Amino acid sequence: MKKITLMLLTLLTIGSMLSAQKITGLKIIENVYNRPAGEDQTADLTMSLINSRGDKRVREIKQFLKDSGNMEKKIMFFVAPADVYNTSFMNWSYEKAGKDDNQWIYLPALKRVKRISSDSKSDYFMGSDFTYDDLGDRQPTDDTHKLLREEEIDGKMCYVVESIPKEEEYMYSKTITWIVKDNWIGKKKDFYDEDEDLLKTLTIKESKVIKDYIIITLSIMHNVQSDHKTIMKLENIKIDSGISDNKFTERMMKRGI
Amino acid sequence: MKQKIIIILLLLTTTIMLNAQITQRGFVRTYLGALTEDGHYSILQNTFDWRLDYGKGDVGLYVNPVFNYDGLSKDLNISLRQAYFDIFFDNFDLRIGKQQIIWGKADGVFITDVIAPRNLSEFILPDFEEIRIGINALKLDYYIGNATIEAVWIPTFQPTILPDKNSIWYPKIAEFPAPVTFDYSNATVEQKLSESEAALKYSYLGSAIDFELMTAYIWDDNPAMHIYPFFTSGNLQPDSLIIKPEYHRLPLVGTNFSKSIFGAVLRGEAAYYFDKNFSAEDLTVNGIKEKDYIHYLVGYDHNWFGVNVSFQFIQEYILDYEDDIRNDEFSNTATFLASKTFINETLELSLFSYFGVNNGDALLRPKLSYDISDGFNILFGANIFIGDEGNFGQYDDNDMVYLKIKYNF
Repeated sequence: MKKITLMLLTLLTIGSMLSAQKITGLKIIENVYNRPAGEDQTADLTMSLINSRGDKRVREIKQFLKDSGNMEKKIMFFVAPADVYNTSFMNWSYEKAGKDDNQWIYLPALKRVKRISSDSKSDYFMGSDFTYDDLGDRQPTDDTHKLLREEEIDGKMCYVVESIPKEEEYMYSKTITWIVKDNWIGKKKDFYDEDEDLLKTLTIKESKVIKDYIIITLSIMHNVQSDHKTIMKLENIKIDSGISDNKFTERMMKRGI
Repeated sequence: MKQKIIIILLLLTTTIMLNAQITQRGFVRTYLGALTEDGHYSILQNTFDWRLDYGKGDVGLYVNPVFNYDGLSKDLNISLRQAYFDIFFDNFDLRIGKQQIIWGKADGVFITDVIAPRNLSEFILPDFEEIRIGINALKLDYYIGNATIEAVWIPTFQPTILPDKNSIWYPKIAEFPAPVTFDYSNATVEQKLSESEAALKYSYLGSAIDFELMTAYIWDDNPAMHIYPFFTSGNLQPDSLIIKPEYHRLPLVGTNFSKSIFGAVLRGEAAYYFDKNFSAEDLTVNGIKEKDYIHYLVGYDHNWFGVNVSFQFIQEYILDYEDDIRNDEFSNTATFLASKTFINETLELSLFSYFGVNNGDALLRPKLSYDISDGFNILFGANIFIGDEGNFGQYDDNDMVYLKIKYNF
């Protein structure tokens, strides 16, 4: 009996090792990247910025997103604070590797839509702890990925993947991501600065299933070096509501919310 | 009287708000500026800028009264910056009323941006939203995919507001061979249909490029200075001169573009003006010569190591030039902007500067802005004029430092 149990355990372990060997870090990140999220999305985004003294500032945005396969269009209307009310930001990003995003901003005081430099992906978005690149979909081929281990977080088994950027001057030296094995949702991500010191930790606090898609609704980005946090919350989410292409135009940027 | 107006406005607004859902926004601002040469205050303003927005279905209403108390002159000025209706249709929008219409891709330079006149009573130092004067107009925007055709009709002419003669911003006037008096009897444009202005623009915004093509049949916002000499018999030199400012038509065509190149943005803008009136020394033509004129710009915006940087080179060229024209045949100007934010965008340091190449003059505008809390901002700045002549050098004595405290609601 003991021999049979020992054989079974050995077989299970070998099986598990073989299955672990089958999947690579790149494949895991590709699965995360290709996880379906619907063709379009409407949501109210609230970012609470909290500094080391506990002072809180709040940014409210209404955002619309549409993915047409080879191109993703996003438009954001700033609701709060009052000094940026009705400012809008539009981004068109492309599936094709190497093709730069197109970005425009509409400032109500200037009353015109201005094309802006898309070479500012390392800039922080509206003073939050998220850079523009953190908020976008980074292409899996931009980094070299390595599966480090598997471990459990909050009762969920996760793959732990290290990603090192191919671009030498990139703002992070590496990232380490914890990805839930059964649904390809990121659970946690550590960002390391150019000196390879831990800079920020992103923690996914809540996700919801909306129309069969898993959507992250609450996350916290904590800059451990400055002890500044951003709590990002998505509410009033609508998926596949059939947003028209006309939503992503100069007309809508000027018209506002 | 003014108190009554305020009370009436408040009552009216309150009444409307009780009956309809109106969004109220705006700001309250204290603005204090002092000349560095003698420490005298040049600006002491308290402003309440109130923006009322009402929308129901496909119709909108926007009203922007501005209350400005000048602490130096003790005057309270009430004005309407904008007041218009919007009507939205499937493929086109109509905007009717007093509105600011802004065209072009240039920053701080006016090339195809000729629709809204400017309030230059404090030179070009106020925020651009405050420099531009709202005009009574009917604007129609027709949309075809990513393209827009915009047609504007302005029934009455509104000129640019120039600095008062006693203002420190009153421009240096040219030297004349005899005493000068001004006669403003011709400085009006009749308010009738035939004197109205019209403009048309086609604009396209796409992944490869954004561009605009425009044409306008407008009045030159700046009057031409017609000079009438008076001679005593036998004298070759005039004994006196009368200058009669007069507005003239200024038709133009223009274009502009902006394009992303390797993460940066390249911009260009050009306009060809027909028969612009230039001041000249030749008194046999009353000191005015009509010449075609080209005004263009190339600009480059980039983010270098977290610093937003922008360069512009601007050239004005008078065609078929004659030596007695007071403006140079070529006038070259450059602008430079650098800005960077710190502490999660609560602190911003920026420098915007103009360089007049012909006269070796410049205007440097450093600013330090800090968000005390959401919507509550404090700004320290300086305006430094360099040179002896030219657009900027003529104000060399007007270097100033200023402080603005602003609360947005």
